[in-house]
Amino acid sequence: MEDLSRFKQTYFDESAELLAVAESGLLRLTPGEVDSDEVNAIFRAVHSIKGGGGAFGFTELVAFAHEFETVMDGVRNTSIPVTTELVDTLIRANDVLGQMLAYAREEAAAPPGTTDDTVAALRRHLAGGPAEAAAPEPAPTAQPAAYPDDEDDEAGIFGDAMVAISAAREAEEGTAGAAAPVPEGKLRWTITFRPKPDLLLSGNEPTFMLRALRRLGDATIDCDLRSLPPLQALEAELLYLSWTVTLIADPDVDQEKINDVFEFVADECDIRIAVEAPVPAVAAPPAVQTSTDPVPVSAAPPPVPAAAAKPPEAAKGEPAKPRANGGGGGGGEHAGLTSHTIRVDLDKIDRLVNMVGEMVITQAMIAEHVRDLPPGEFQELLEGLEQLAQHTRELRESVMSIRAQPVSSVFSRMPRLVRECAAATGKEVQLVTSGETTEVDKTVVENLVDPLTHMIRNSIDHGLEGPEERERIGKPRAGTVHLSAQHRSGRIVIEITDDGRGINRPKVLSKAIEKGLVQPGASLSDEEIDNLIFLPGFSTADQVSNLSGRGVGMDVVRRNISSLGGRIGVYSAPGEGSRFVLSLPLTLAVLDGMVISVGEERFVLPLTNIVESLRPKAADLHGLVGKCDVMMARGEYVRLVYLHQLFGIPKAVTDPTRALVVLVETEDGARLGLVVDEVLGQQQVVIKSLEANFRRLDGVAAATILGDGRVALILDVAGLREMSRHHDSGYSRPPDPGQAALPAALPSPALEPV
Amino acid sequence: MTLIKWSDEGGQVRLGLPSDLDLAMAQPLLEGLRAGFGASDTVVADAAAVERVSTACIQALLAAARHAAEHNRTFAILQPSEVLTEACEDLGLAPWLKQWSRA
Repeated sequence: MEDLSRFKQTYFDESAELLAVAESGLLRLTPGEVDSDEVNAIFRAVHSIKGGGGAFGFTELVAFAHEFETVMDGVRNTSIPVTTELVDTLIRANDVLGQMLAYAREEAAAPPGTTDDTVAALRRHLAGGPAEAAAPEPAPTAQPAAYPDDEDDEAGIFGDAMVAISAAREAEEGTAGAAAPVPEGKLRWTITFRPKPDLLLSGNEPTFMLRALRRLGDATIDCDLRSLPPLQALEAELLYLSWTVTLIADPDVDQEKINDVFEFVADECDIRIAVEAPVPAVAAPPAVQTSTDPVPVSAAPPPVPAAAAKPPEAAKGEPAKPRANGGGGGGGEHAGLTSHTIRVDLDKIDRLVNMVGEMVITQAMIAEHVRDLPPGEFQELLEGLEQLAQHTRELRESVMSIRAQPVSSVFSRMPRLVRECAAATGKEVQLVTSGETTEVDKTVVENLVDPLTHMIRNSIDHGLEGPEERERIGKPRAGTVHLSAQHRSGRIVIEITDDGRGINRPKVLSKAIEKGLVQPGASLSDEEIDNLIFLPGFSTADQVSNLSGRGVGMDVVRRNISSLGGRIGVYSAPGEGSRFVLSLPLTLAVLDGMVISVGEERFVLPLTNIVESLRPKAADLHGLVGKCDVMMARGEYVRLVYLHQLFGIPKAVTDPTRALVVLVETEDGARLGLVVDEVLGQQQVVIKSLEANFRRLDGVAAATILGDGRVALILDVAGLREMSRHHDSGYSRPPDPGQAALPAALPSPALEPV
Repeated sequence: MTLIKWSDEGGQVRLGLPSDLDLAMAQPLLEGLRAGFGASDTVVADAAAVERVSTACIQALLAAARHAAEHNRTFAILQPSEVLTEACEDLGLAPWLKQWSRA
């Protein structure tokens, strides 16, 4: 029942907000003037509290809210005039509602008579009678069987967890009243399952779902044949049947379990789920039904109300004196109902993130200045700054965690995708997920959906073998796709592993040659061949299928991942399967970078791109005639990129043997040697969008502000490679006698697929 | 489709249902039932061999039963297998099957 208490918490939190909405609306109500928007807002707030309360079986609360709501409805349709007295009564009713919520939260019954006076006052207004009518007649705490309701479903107010507003309507239609009483200690679920006609065509079978429902308890299944056409008109593969299942189940069967049954057909059917709890022995109101429409992701079932709820502490001594009785009913009456969460506009959080970013910069700036202070002096200042730096880091992490979300929101979409892909390809697939609770920035999470969808589709379509083939080669019939997430060295690593046939390297290579992506005769390592699948326009599927093979697959994935500051790698073993590894930053707001200098300019290189930095010897440098310079580094030729040339920076060190070469790697594993003057040091930098503040620049991913207040550009290594290619195509550097000519046997182009 | 065995025995059409009544069999079954009622007033479907059944096929049998009731014909499901019986229970059609089946 842990889930239930979570939903209850949400209900109470949101009810507190709704009470505040209602109160502020009521305070603005002016006698004689009816602002229909205002009145509607109050009505909806009360209505939502009532509906949610119904879902949890808070019958007294629901009964009172209904009285309140009825009067608000009268105000809404102008049958009840707005008078000062009415407003007073409504404000008092709002306070009482707050009290009722507080009692419900404490799981205590309200003391008898808590609502009497207010209900009487409300009813006087409803009757059209002036307040000076008779003395307050005692109002029953229990209400009639139905709470008529003319409002559309307000479920949205309580999110997925809280629906239940059409309860009254269902009750009015007699669906609740007609049935036998719910056995003590059980819940009665009524599930209406109306599949769309083409449900069967997608491989779904109602018998499985209904059978699964039967397993949850004592089920009575009623099949509706009314839509079944005559024999001659029947379309064999369309479904005309629908079902109503009445399920008497233990309280541990919750709506989530029922929803799970229909998990894969959520879009292909209309499902309504209603629940009834047994009528409490002491309270007269009928069990309240909740209904969800359409298929909810999750919703809370009501608890089985305790037959004899314990009275609240406050009421023990003086049961006859309810807490809020008549009087002005101060605004603090429902102070007990405090919220433990707040909902904050995303913009506000982003502003906060931004400000923290500025603070990080300022702190770096101060740190830069104090570095010049004479050592041994200003010790306290230095210690204070040290603390400030630590607090700033903690503050930044706290702020980032506000934006962090578990990847489960993305992972939870995948089972359905896998099922659909499996059905479309006729393969048997089992999806295993792990690390769903791993948290990462909201933007990253949101942008993960498309790449993961693509990659899982690819794994199933290209990677996994059909069941027969798998059986033949001694694998289990069902292929397994494993989706995992974990934090690793300050980044989130997501892996998609399948136990299929692995990448068909000869086919990939011949396709790449056919498409002119690789020169014939080039010798590529296995890893390089595997990485060819990320090239634009590359697809090995012989036939375009619905799933993949349209040539818009893995290159788009790589681009998406790169745009998030991430990298993607593929590892494959023939016959054993493939593993795609995504590595993404936890946040898009800060970045670990290396500050480098070229001439008088400073740049930041993302740390994730850097392999090493070195000062080459003259013998390691070679010039490709009419092309670029390359450097021999660790037995491999690497293209040199002169940043000063690309960005036109004067006064830079131009001779690599006197400068430094920072060896960097792009997402696809290609390496470049960036010729820079100096490496100044590692620094965490706050990312500032260049597009938003200036415009996009080639070879530049974003900008940042350094400790000394200067703007530095954060380099985009893949972009630099592109730029250098264009730059080198106009290359006219005379051969340098100091550089050795490139050996003829260099298998150069293969290193770097164009 | 040949998988549904058709035999005309003394004026009644007898359809021998295959073991696998999956979605793909719904159309052949439906055609068999239509043809059966076209050829005779009495159609019986022998369901003893059914080992797998889809809702689509049960739906076709439902339509056949209703057709028989509305047009004063005779329809029966002979020796419904355990699988068919269970599927009908799942679909809330146990009373229907009981009404239309024959041992």
